[in-house]
Amino acid sequence: MIQRVLALVKMELLKLIREPANLFMNLLFPAILTLVFGLAFGGLGGGDSSVFDMMAPGLFAYACIFIIMTVSMSFTDDRENGLLKRINVTPTTSTQFIGSHIITNMFIAVIQLTIVFLLSLLMGYRPNVDVFGVIMAFIFMLFLSLCSVGLGLITATIAKSAGAASGLSFIFILPQMFFGTFIVLPEGIRIISAFLPSYYVTDALTAIFDGVSPFTIEILMQLGIIALMGVGIVILGIFLFKKYCKVYFKQSIFFFFNL
Amino acid sequence: MDNQKNMSDLIDGLKKEIKSKNNEIAGYIDKIDALEQEITKLRKLNPGEASKIKIKRERPEDIFDPDGASAIIIKDLVKQFDDVTAVNGINLEIKKGELFGLLGPNGAGKTTTINMLVGLLDPTEGTAIVGGYDVKKDLNKIKEMIGVCPQEASFYKFLKGRENVELFGNLFEMDKNLLKERADKFFEASGLKEASNRKAKGYSGGMIRQLNLIIALINDPKIVFLDEPTVGMDPRARRKTWNFIGDLKQEDKTIILTTHYIEEAEALCDRVGIIDYGELIALGTPKELMKKHDAKDLEEVFMKITGRRIMEGV
Repeated sequence: MIQRVLALVKMELLKLIREPANLFMNLLFPAILTLVFGLAFGGLGGGDSSVFDMMAPGLFAYACIFIIMTVSMSFTDDRENGLLKRINVTPTTSTQFIGSHIITNMFIAVIQLTIVFLLSLLMGYRPNVDVFGVIMAFIFMLFLSLCSVGLGLITATIAKSAGAASGLSFIFILPQMFFGTFIVLPEGIRIISAFLPSYYVTDALTAIFDGVSPFTIEILMQLGIIALMGVGIVILGIFLFKKYCKVYFKQSIFFFFNL
Repeated sequence: MDNQKNMSDLIDGLKKEIKSKNNEIAGYIDKIDALEQEITKLRKLNPGEASKIKIKRERPEDIFDPDGASAIIIKDLVKQFDDVTAVNGINLEIKKGELFGLLGPNGAGKTTTINMLVGLLDPTEGTAIVGGYDVKKDLNKIKEMIGVCPQEASFYKFLKGRENVELFGNLFEMDKNLLKERADKFFEASGLKEASNRKAKGYSGGMIRQLNLIIALINDPKIVFLDEPTVGMDPRARRKTWNFIGDLKQEDKTIILTTHYIEEAEALCDRVGIIDYGELIALGTPKELMKKHDAKDLEEVFMKITGRRIMEGV
């Protein structure tokens, strides 16, 4: 089982490096975003750095949200090219296949956090955090990446092509971007945030990087919520993908051969 | 002298055939005896006790194939998509080591049949036994022993040819050294040795087909499903692939080949089955079919059978 999962993880990581679109969305985009926000709102030019300090934790979540798009495109692309069918006739189980995607994207989330964190420091961000706080930040990001993989699977279930998946993924990306990261919401619509995984991550990371102990009840509760959300969304994603992808597959045979 | 030798060979052949039939009959008699014993035991028990006894049921695969000589057995296989019947009660037996050709016009039900045999589709009705295992119950065991070469180029374009082969070898949990050895052998035989270290994105049509085939064979499958393996190949590459498939037969693998090239089936296959409108309408060796339909080649047989059905509006 380990041999199969490792082989799939290796393949996914090679895809990250060799496919320009993947490389851009997963690694270059978060880096560019941090640099742009840092230049605009950071203290490099001698301006007030407090705005960027407030934004930085949201940027960590911001980058990870786009995993939804890359995962949904990857699954639909594999389905379109007959790769899911081909893997399906090997002894590989769907749990092993989806598990490999989860592991790969957790690894990508760690790289994203590292890139954004280092670039934020370069742009003048000075968090008040100890080593435990940094570890906790990584744990939050791992669960957010889990949510993103699950939402990516749900998107792949709805989308019939990789192109459609990139567009449809914004159903899940946009609300999280605007209602669950660094944008300050009016009191009346703040309730929406309670349903968004990125909100809990941003809120916890803001507190942790502001010097609050990562082991307070509030932060541990937020960790519990994001963990539950992650597991729930992935289970729902696997269920929907397994159920409806088989339908799509049958339909494609049906139409292709005019049966 | 020659006549005597021929007679003696013929008698030996007949003896072997009788012995094999005897074994088959003996197998059935053993099963009947066992069942009779169970019935006798049950008769001696009162109804309460009888209900507690679990009778060891025969697996359907054992009932259909008592001597274990068949690689694939299909019984009354049906596949329906909503109100359309794609496969309509197919019955077929393919022996171990046989190269079997599945022919039929577009939409006849060939690929649907293959997809049920490899577990990509669930049969609506009927039974299919592949390598001694029922597709409805022991799909994982079947997947361990089969190799499937699909029509489309199903591999990762951003990976090198060798990386693709290694990925699929690892999905079968192959030993690293064995995987490398088999990959080297196939790349050498197919002329892809140099190209194997290039990304598959830049492969020509022929190279794509070759890589597709190598991936299907890397796990040393006992049963190989080849779906249109030579589509898009030039005559030379096609001939090379024919030799490759011929070599597989020498390794005693069972090969199920679907193709639109009738001459390919005629040149390679021990037996062919022609499917149309989801039904198996002809079955036999190419020679038998040509003789039966008074045709000069298999293509004429194909045209006669499928053409007549179109004319008759079946």
